[in-house]
Amino acid sequence: MNIGVLIKQVPSSESPVPLHDSETWIQEDGVNWEMNDSDSYALEEALLIKEKQGGGDVVVITLGPEARSLKTIREALAKGADRAIHLVDDVPGLSDPYLIASAIAHACKEESLDLVLSGLQSGDLASGQVGILVGEILGMTTSSLVMETDFSDNSIRVKRELEGGWYQWVTLPLPAAINVQSGLNHPRYASLKGIMSAKRKEIKTIPVADALNNTEALQSMSTLSVPIAEKRTEMIEGDTDQIVSKLIDVMKTKAKVL
Amino acid sequence: MDSHSVPLVFYAIALIAIIIFVFNMKKFLVIRKGKEAPLDVKWWELLTNALTFGVAQKKVYRKRFSYASIMHTFIAWGFLELLFATTVDFFQARGWLTAYLPELDTPWFAFVNDFGGVALGIGLIMALIRRHGDKPEALPQDAWSGRGILLGDTGILVLLLLLVCGGFFAESARLAMENPESAMWSWAGFALAKILPESLWIAAEPYLWWFHAITALIFIAWLPNTKIFHAIAVIANVAVTNRAKRNQIPAMHVSQLMEDPDLDPDTISLGVSSSSELTWKQLLNSISCTECARCTMVCPAYATDKPLSPMKIIGDIRNDIVNGTKNGGLVGGTITETELWSCTTCGACMEECPVLINHVPMITDFRRFLVLSEGKPPTQASQHLENIMNTGNPWGMSNRTKWATDADIELPLMATKKEADVLYWVGCAGAFDSRNQQVARSMVKIFEAASVDYAVLGDEEMCTGDSARRLGEEYLFETMALQNIETLNKYKFKKIVTACPHCLHTLKNEYGDFDGNYEVVHHTQFIQDLIANNKINMNPNESKQLTYHDPCYLGRYNGEYDAPREVLQSLLGSSENMIEMKNHKSESFCCGAGGGNMWHEVEDGSRINLKRFDEAVETGAQGVVTSCSFCTIMMDDAMKVRGKEEDFSVQDLAELVADNLS
Repeated sequence: MNIGVLIKQVPSSESPVPLHDSETWIQEDGVNWEMNDSDSYALEEALLIKEKQGGGDVVVITLGPEARSLKTIREALAKGADRAIHLVDDVPGLSDPYLIASAIAHACKEESLDLVLSGLQSGDLASGQVGILVGEILGMTTSSLVMETDFSDNSIRVKRELEGGWYQWVTLPLPAAINVQSGLNHPRYASLKGIMSAKRKEIKTIPVADALNNTEALQSMSTLSVPIAEKRTEMIEGDTDQIVSKLIDVMKTKAKVL
Repeated sequence: MDSHSVPLVFYAIALIAIIIFVFNMKKFLVIRKGKEAPLDVKWWELLTNALTFGVAQKKVYRKRFSYASIMHTFIAWGFLELLFATTVDFFQARGWLTAYLPELDTPWFAFVNDFGGVALGIGLIMALIRRHGDKPEALPQDAWSGRGILLGDTGILVLLLLLVCGGFFAESARLAMENPESAMWSWAGFALAKILPESLWIAAEPYLWWFHAITALIFIAWLPNTKIFHAIAVIANVAVTNRAKRNQIPAMHVSQLMEDPDLDPDTISLGVSSSSELTWKQLLNSISCTECARCTMVCPAYATDKPLSPMKIIGDIRNDIVNGTKNGGLVGGTITETELWSCTTCGACMEECPVLINHVPMITDFRRFLVLSEGKPPTQASQHLENIMNTGNPWGMSNRTKWATDADIELPLMATKKEADVLYWVGCAGAFDSRNQQVARSMVKIFEAASVDYAVLGDEEMCTGDSARRLGEEYLFETMALQNIETLNKYKFKKIVTACPHCLHTLKNEYGDFDGNYEVVHHTQFIQDLIANNKINMNPNESKQLTYHDPCYLGRYNGEYDAPREVLQSLLGSSENMIEMKNHKSESFCCGAGGGNMWHEVEDGSRINLKRFDEAVETGAQGVVTSCSFCTIMMDDAMKVRGKEEDFSVQDLAELVADNLS
């Protein structure tokens, strides 16, 4: 019973992210990298399933340049993952979800994973595709937006979030790839004991080029730009009833708070 | 009774009693189960501690516990006097040193001895009233069995009372029988003797003498198993206590630990989870506890119905080491995680403990186990700890000088200046918390008004690691400390000024363990100095009455109570405009944010900051002044919850000074 967890390093939400001259990626120097928030929930869910099952390995898989990836890998190992696979990408900015998923799927093939967990989406590019693509490439059953899991020997029952407060329970036969919603558990804190043990755990490295084996990208980044911050004020006019109904309408359609 | 009349059989029984006493004193040996710790007190300190805090019970006498203080004075001094009298009597009976010693019927000795007996009797009755009449809730509630202590709180009082009464009966009978000339000097026994006919006393005399003798010997034999054991243990405990270092948390030197190639993470023990992992000194602390409950009565967590009683923690440790570990273990079992996380490390317990027990460092040791070994900090706090690890501050924000640039302040940076008289340690709160940014701006205004040559570290400054350390995250604390020390050592400055007592405490008292030694002053001390040297002048505002809230880490931890008060008084024009709260100076009540509690909330009970805020409002003052980033946030928050923004103010002293500069 082995569980793969896809983890990514993303700039922390408070970190400055200056654009690179190429305008297709950011300047990575000085950026504060951290484990993608929703991936930390996937890792925690994997650890919880493993603890409940009482066996097997949790294998974290990440793709990225050496320095920043290692920090995230060590963090995951310190939290309790057993092994790691590092797809070393020395040209940062690989952004096509299909290419990334292909490389990861290649690395996963030999691992006989029963389950691949990933976070809902990344904090930087937010495509939300990689985890599901990996499952599809490996011929696994897949489910996204999972709020709760219930693991049994040959299958996993998951609670999926639907729109408008609705949800559904789905049972997936194994092997399965699941992408989890943030907040489904409380990610644990890395203990010092964990940090010490992490140093002894295996990190397998695979160059991305080897894993890709000439796979073609399906999409590429054309330009990246900083969003322009602007404030817009819309005055709602009319008598009280009109104002109220317009305001409710705005709250429903534009602000989407109702 | 003459020397020859003490029957030999008494000495035989007494010998047995003493043998049992010595055997029962083996309880002391449990401290050998503890880990090594240096004996860091000089021999004369050992002696003076034993005499002042031990024999003379210096810390027992506290105004806020007046009933208990009087009660204990009667019991302890009555007891000591009788111990002296009994020893003299023994010497007389054996015919030793008789030329130098008074006899039982020597008038002054007879008078004093009865006084001792009466005092002990009154003290014991006061204690029984306290246990069974108006009993403080914090005291142990199981009166007869105690917590692993023979006879409990009540049983030992009854036994002692029997001893006192028996003593007087025996004395009365002896007076009736021997009818010495100075009988009336034994005033209590003499009066008692007059109640019954002489013949009855004479007939009862041997029985009364034996009753008293046997109760005394039973008491001696069992003393180490009863609460009175504290009278012996405390002398040892206070003697070996280094009072200057009481609130210091020993460094773990984690980075050195991690470099050890032989280290096995699976077997290494980090922090303390069982009583045998505590040091012998901490175990001595635990067996010295008298369960007077003063620590618990002043504990802010206890006062707001959180599941923490410092006394219970100490009692749990003692029971664990003396009577064996219960199922579930000590930490996480007998002592729950919530109890440990409820502690604000305010130090009120240690301040009040009459026998110098150090509760907070033990609680921190337990927290270290939860965090370093188990990876279980409070859920809400873990995000902030990760923020410190990732961004160098608990807020998880970046740009440490935005508070200044937003207000068009050009901050002198150490990175460019390299040298300055004063290094202003802004702190994470000053840099990122909007309320405390105002304090930082006020400090700049004061520096400029006084033409102080100052500079800040800007983005080079990191969290001092205070919250991390208090939460048991020693690894993170050490990471921050080492990084800050490296930065500080790059520059030249005379002193560090900090606006936050938590930064002050770590920089001043804790970085030394990592070779970071600096002169660090708090901004209230710095401002007081500026005023004294006429570097700044203020327009006193005499129309306002204010109260001052002592931050725990400035007051109790660093002994500074006067500087902020002097500055405040000069601001208010007169001392009458400064109203003290009931709990002030060393008796100050925590705001609730210390010990890392700024970053998580224990759900049980009510909120500590509200209780403290209400105390401030009760003074009738129009505002509360404080001098700590956390206290300001907590009081400000409480003011909003109480809806008092209109008619009450919460300010840091620096803001008040900056606003009134002339």
